[in-house]
Amino acid sequence: MPQLMPSVKVLRLLPKWLLLLGLLASCSSTNSNAPVNLKAGLPVGAILSLTGNANVYGQDQRIGLELAQAAFKPGSSIPLNLSIEDGGSDEAGAINAFNLLINRGSAALIGPTLSQQAFAASPIAQRRGVPVVAPSNTATGIPELGNFISRVSAQSLVIAPLSIAKALQLNPAIKRVAVFYANDDAYSTSETAIFQKAIKAKALNTVTVQRTQLNDQDFLNQITSALRAKPDMVVLSLQAVDGGNLIRQLRELGFKGTIVVGNGMNTPNIYPICQKNCDGILIAQAYSPELQTDANRSFVARFKAQQAGAVPPQLTAQAYAAYQVIAEATERQNKRQPLEAKPLREVRILLNEEILRGTYNTPLGKISFSPEGEVIQESFFVAQVRMNPDGRSGKFTLLP
Amino acid sequence: MDGLLQLLINGISIGATYALFALGYTLVFSVLGVINFAHGAVFTCGAYFTYLLLGGAVGSNGMLAGMHFPLALPLLVALPLAGIGAAAMGLLVEAVAFKPLRRRGAEPLLYLITSLGAGVILVNLIQLLMGAEAYALPGNLLGRWPAVLALGHGVQIRTVQLLLLIVAGIAMLILSLWLNRSSYGKALQAVAEDGTTARLLGINSGAIIQLAFAIASFLAGISGGLVALSVNIGGPYFGIGYGLKGLGVLVLGGLGSAPGAVLGGLIIGIAEALVPAKLSAYKDAVAFAFLFLMLILRPQGLLGKPPMEKV
Repeated sequence: MPQLMPSVKVLRLLPKWLLLLGLLASCSSTNSNAPVNLKAGLPVGAILSLTGNANVYGQDQRIGLELAQAAFKPGSSIPLNLSIEDGGSDEAGAINAFNLLINRGSAALIGPTLSQQAFAASPIAQRRGVPVVAPSNTATGIPELGNFISRVSAQSLVIAPLSIAKALQLNPAIKRVAVFYANDDAYSTSETAIFQKAIKAKALNTVTVQRTQLNDQDFLNQITSALRAKPDMVVLSLQAVDGGNLIRQLRELGFKGTIVVGNGMNTPNIYPICQKNCDGILIAQAYSPELQTDANRSFVARFKAQQAGAVPPQLTAQAYAAYQVIAEATERQNKRQPLEAKPLREVRILLNEEILRGTYNTPLGKISFSPEGEVIQESFFVAQVRMNPDGRSGKFTLLP
Repeated sequence: MDGLLQLLINGISIGATYALFALGYTLVFSVLGVINFAHGAVFTCGAYFTYLLLGGAVGSNGMLAGMHFPLALPLLVALPLAGIGAAAMGLLVEAVAFKPLRRRGAEPLLYLITSLGAGVILVNLIQLLMGAEAYALPGNLLGRWPAVLALGHGVQIRTVQLLLLIVAGIAMLILSLWLNRSSYGKALQAVAEDGTTARLLGINSGAIIQLAFAIASFLAGISGGLVALSVNIGGPYFGIGYGLKGLGVLVLGGLGSAPGAVLGGLIIGIAEALVPAKLSAYKDAVAFAFLFLMLILRPQGLLGKPPMEKV
């Protein structure tokens, strides 16, 4: 019996420790009723996937946010004081980053990178009344998470079918389609449903549907099985690393037909993964570097100056647009009703209302939001990857 | 029939990777009786070493951004060197996570914790230095060889995987010969059998344990490089999935049994390949279902010996 004593002690002390921990936690978070201090600017947080298998997107997005900071900070009456947190590539990482930034008193959030993360983390912001502008969540149902959640990334439902139509325009002989998607990823499962509906709508025959997992690296079995069905076209809803690997293995195993990919592969970071095998893949995009507007010309010039003449990818443009939306909404709201000394909770509510009310001339073109927070965008594009002879670099060439 | 043959070839080539990986686990387990959880991280180190030795530059997100090895070595030179680099990392893991505990005669559970910690530190170190981005091995490494070789009857194999299969086969053969024919190999078997008696017979068991770590890590290093050649390096956590699978192979084949590791690897690889296409996303579940079944039916694994009960 004596050896049980410490356990009993521990049990008795447990409620006190929990109370102490609770007190410490509440001390470390910002009181949302306290007046907001704007001396250092309006605190805004960004949750990006800078590590894990989605880091290839987070890197693109970080560049977009840095460019937007440089573009919008000078001359604004309330500059945004941006904190970028790594949300990893899973739900737990995003939840931690959301909690951290909300507790630090962020007036608004940009992120997270993945739809899968958004379904887990954005409801936290919704419950705490913090506006979230998602720069890259394309799965169905993101703005429906709550009235504080909006996005600048057009949903797959709008974009994905465009690339199927373009593939058929380029090759009307396509009849048989093989579909691949990661069945443990919200973006992939959402987008493949849209792709499969579009394939059916075009009276094409889906000869096989192959399921993979996000962390898969070897796709021999799925590819062998798909190639036996003799598809003319392969449609992928995968993230950049697994999708890039699958394309490489698919081409190496002899597939010569059309490859259509979804938004997950909408980054130049796929080039080193599938290398020369990336050449020719079709992808629908919500951004064109060739869009002739003042906002886009200025953005492209800034990007080229920073990235040695490279052309900006969609994810960078969307992250830039997300920052721009919050920066411009803050300016307008502050002119209408000064934010200084207002309780943080009220600032968050006012800012959210202003975000949804506004119209923004961004690199994506003119955008606004539906009352639910869904982006309303005018133009979409279909691009084809063209790899350079080195097989390591390339570009998304817009198709007419 | 051709389809089945293709699936078997797919399974064998995947299984060979698992087997090569599990051999490393087995070597360490046989001499220490514990699993080295840092093995996956050492495998990852091997992949990164191969990338750097082939002349690859560090991406933009690591502390070493833009840096690269002054020479771009050919694959056949880079791969063994990467193995040696991985062996050095393995020895470091042994010195930091195993040796101090061994001296104190610590519980086996503590080895698991320290090796897991060493693995986490290694992975984070890679992330710090190299960044989290994906890397593809540079250059045209297969030279004039085609990406895929036709084996007749519509059956084909990726050249990279054939290479992996050949290297795995050679490594297993050399290891088997070395273990059974060389004095060091026999000393290792003696330490594995009974460390105390081996010490009384004049065998330096500490040096033999280090040797086991070095060989296991060398194998992990070259298999990391070969897998990177086949599927690129997906980031610093690249080896974690293989680590878990290797663990399954180890238990399936029999803890501490080198032939068991090979057999277990091939069985799991083939079982994964035979999973119907509709269920292919659940192939990991199949691998671990085998493991589960084996633990119930034959806890010592396919070729493992049942533990002797000491009275």
